Amino acid sequence: MNPQSAVHRTEVDGIPTLFTYVAGPMRAGLVFRAGIADETLGRAGLTHLVEHLALYRQGVADYHYNGATKAAFTHFHVEGAEHEIAAYLTGVCASLTDLPMDRLETEKEVLRTEESRRDPGPLPLWRYGAQGYGLVSYPEWGVRNASAQDVGQWAQSWFTSDNAVLWIAGERIPPGICLKLPAGDRRPMPAVTSALPTTPAYFSHGTGGVLLDAVVADTPAAWLYSGVLERELTRALRQEGGYSYTTATDLTPRRDGFTVLAAFADALPAKQDAVLGGFVDVLAGFQAGRITQADLDAVRGRADAALSSPEAAARRLPGMAEDLLAGRPWRDAAELRSQLWAVTPGHLHEVALEAAGTALLQVPSGHSADWAGYTAAPTASDRTVTGPRFITGRAGDAELTVGDDGVSLTERSSPGPDGTRVATVLYRSCAAMLSWPDGGRRLIGADGLTVDVEPAVYGVEPSTMAVIDAAVPPHAVVPLPPRPHPPRLDRAPASSTTTSARPTAAPPATGTVLADRPRRTGGQMAAMVLLGALGGCFGLLALMLTVFGADDPETSVGEWLAISGFLWGVTALLVWPAVRILRRTSRR
Amino acid sequence: MSLASPLPPPDFEITSAYPEVAWLRQAVAAWDWTAVRQYLAGLPRGSDTSQVFSTVAGTEGVEQVLRDLVAAAPDDVFALTLLGAREVQIGWKVRTGARAESVTREQFATFHAHLRTAEQLLIRATALDPSYAPAWAERLNTARGLQLGQNEARRRYDRLAKSHPHHFTAQSRLLQQLCPKWSGSWDAAHSFARDRMLAAPEGALNAGLVAEAHLEHWLGLDAGEERHAYLGQSHVHAELVEAAGRSVLHPEFRREPGWVTVAGCFAALFSLIGDTARAAAHFRALGNLASQFPWSYLGEPAEAYTRHRDTALALTSPATAPNRGRR
Repeated sequence: MNPQSAVHRTEVDGIPTLFTYVAGPMRAGLVFRAGIADETLGRAGLTHLVEHLALYRQGVADYHYNGATKAAFTHFHVEGAEHEIAAYLTGVCASLTDLPMDRLETEKEVLRTEESRRDPGPLPLWRYGAQGYGLVSYPEWGVRNASAQDVGQWAQSWFTSDNAVLWIAGERIPPGICLKLPAGDRRPMPAVTSALPTTPAYFSHGTGGVLLDAVVADTPAAWLYSGVLERELTRALRQEGGYSYTTATDLTPRRDGFTVLAAFADALPAKQDAVLGGFVDVLAGFQAGRITQADLDAVRGRADAALSSPEAAARRLPGMAEDLLAGRPWRDAAELRSQLWAVTPGHLHEVALEAAGTALLQVPSGHSADWAGYTAAPTASDRTVTGPRFITGRAGDAELTVGDDGVSLTERSSPGPDGTRVATVLYRSCAAMLSWPDGGRRLIGADGLTVDVEPAVYGVEPSTMAVIDAAVPPHAVVPLPPRPHPPRLDRAPASSTTTSARPTAAPPATGTVLADRPRRTGGQMAAMVLLGALGGCFGLLALMLTVFGADDPETSVGEWLAISGFLWGVTALLVWPAVRILRRTSRR
Repeated sequence: MSLASPLPPPDFEITSAYPEVAWLRQAVAAWDWTAVRQYLAGLPRGSDTSQVFSTVAGTEGVEQVLRDLVAAAPDDVFALTLLGAREVQIGWKVRTGARAESVTREQFATFHAHLRTAEQLLIRATALDPSYAPAWAERLNTARGLQLGQNEARRRYDRLAKSHPHHFTAQSRLLQQLCPKWSGSWDAAHSFARDRMLAAPEGALNAGLVAEAHLEHWLGLDAGEERHAYLGQSHVHAELVEAAGRSVLHPEFRREPGWVTVAGCFAALFSLIGDTARAAAHFRALGNLASQFPWSYLGEPAEAYTRHRDTALALTSPATAPNRGRR
């Protein structure tokens, strides 16, 4: 092995530094142990905002630079001449200690544009819930209302010299580099939460194809398994079956000793069933231990080339910086290569079984994977709160309960032990509550289940809404701008109690429940009785005049017709609103 | 009713047509799996072994023993497939053959639970040995019962056909899936039947698929004029004549498992069409052998068989002139 390609550990301005010798253009990166998984749903996006603000002063440079906010790490990287590298890194650190807050609102807009292009998919939220690593599935709801103080505090507590690692691939550490950052703590890795009571599990979502997500030990055997799996998916689904066009696998090390294996096969809508069946069979083949030495060798050749190429050490530096921040043991290339060559088909079989045990499968909407032994991921809660109930739905088939400790939405005539499905969000585990000016609220629990509270649809009084608003932890509240189409009585939402729809800040879709009838309020009841009674009196008067007035010698026929018509008109005007209330609300 | 038929009543006992089933039943009753394995191994390469698996799967209580067998040898493809086939059988017995409207929610739940258990055993079997046709053939049943989709059923058939291109039982199962009652179409069903007939060697049973497809189509129509008009089409008759000529009437034809059903289909269809001469030929070949399908489609099986046979044979007895025409 080329001794120059070794990675050396040193320090620059107190920041641990990984250096490897590379001739030619220099590359460097500053990595922080800070990411989306460190945030909360109601305040999500702060790290990303800091990253953007820190790069603003770099302006339009000739050299190539960028920033990346990941689940547990934030990267600032750069490629260029020595002095450019020094200027970039020095500038990033200077900005981090003094963020250009005059840019705050503009960068928020930039993030919103970026968000509309970002699509991480729903797998993380189904695996981890609306917290920690699951947050990457959600919109950055904390950005809109983040104040300069919020952003400054976040930067100060996470972007510190003790929470950073520098890496450099070049001829030497560039002179003139100055990394002045506040002192802080090396942050522990984010907690790994779970929203899956049992694995392997599945959920149905979208139309794109089949996706697998599995957590396996981060070893060379796992890398090779990922490669072998991709080959076999391509062979079975694309080459032989012609069911898929794209098949791919990917590994994302979580830096806690585990790596997340992802596998994907796209599908034409008409071939989804065959793609799912073929996908399941490919996985089953590996789980049964059918792994050929030839496949292993083919994949190993490529993996070894990636480790032994002159570029290898430089390419590994960002990952090694993450490992260092996470406190993972040092793994040098020679050691990894020897481990790589020791892998047998038996080892891959072990990885396949480990992956099978932790698998989460995303199957196209309308399909299931229970037949293949995957358990449906939860789309319902196992408890319901007690408190005032509000009925809605065409036949009273949805019921909102507002309790002291949370809210529940019960849907009848849906799959469940007794034909019902309940979604409950407890206030104490409410990850976020979206709040619209029209009074609508969406509560999202830490497990990812959501409950929509639409006062206009359920007939919930303002006093009850105030109770909910007061009970949700303040950091979870996300005030949002007015919605273009707030749900109304005649355009009621399908009660969205599941995590099946990828959550967005958009209003709940108008859906299947077309004629939801909310509970009649006290005021509506009183108005209805009063209008009905008055209408009745006028109706009686109109009737008497119509029947007997014609014979009255004191009125002409013209007068009789006019007065009768007037009285009938008043009756109609009084009765009509009462009928409207009667038709559009329900008694309970 | 022609209970006063001068001919012997139809014999629906499977062992009358296939004496080896009697031997198999004894072996299964004695849990002599070694003997069953040896029997399978001794069959010519490319044989349709479904009868062996359905014989085991039809044995009451055999699942207990098979579960032990699988537990002791979780990689035993033969044992996994037998247990899978048995679970399918148990599930379908709960579901019954009735139309979906008359099957209760609970029946469906139990049916699906058994099929899921079966499917997972069979997934493992085909994963361990992708060329093991009996397991793929069972997975056509699970795919249909679990409604996994037309393309998925087709994919399974294609996997089976790679190692076993003329597996008649598997083709017959896929044909069911291709019918409109299982979300398919008549076009798909008829063209699959014809393709498989033409691909198979002459004298093989596969041409029976053409008859099955027409029988399914006939049954799917409204009783009376519609059905009568369907079978009255000259192309239907011509296709049946061609299919019978390529299978049961071909010099290369051999009485393999399934032949009684195929000959029965031709007999039934020619009789329904009114071509009693051709129906008679198939009835004569059958002797008094019968299988539930196709006769269950025509009413009470024994009664339907007797009625059609007696009509066909009476009109073509030596006393009457040979009637070669239709109707």
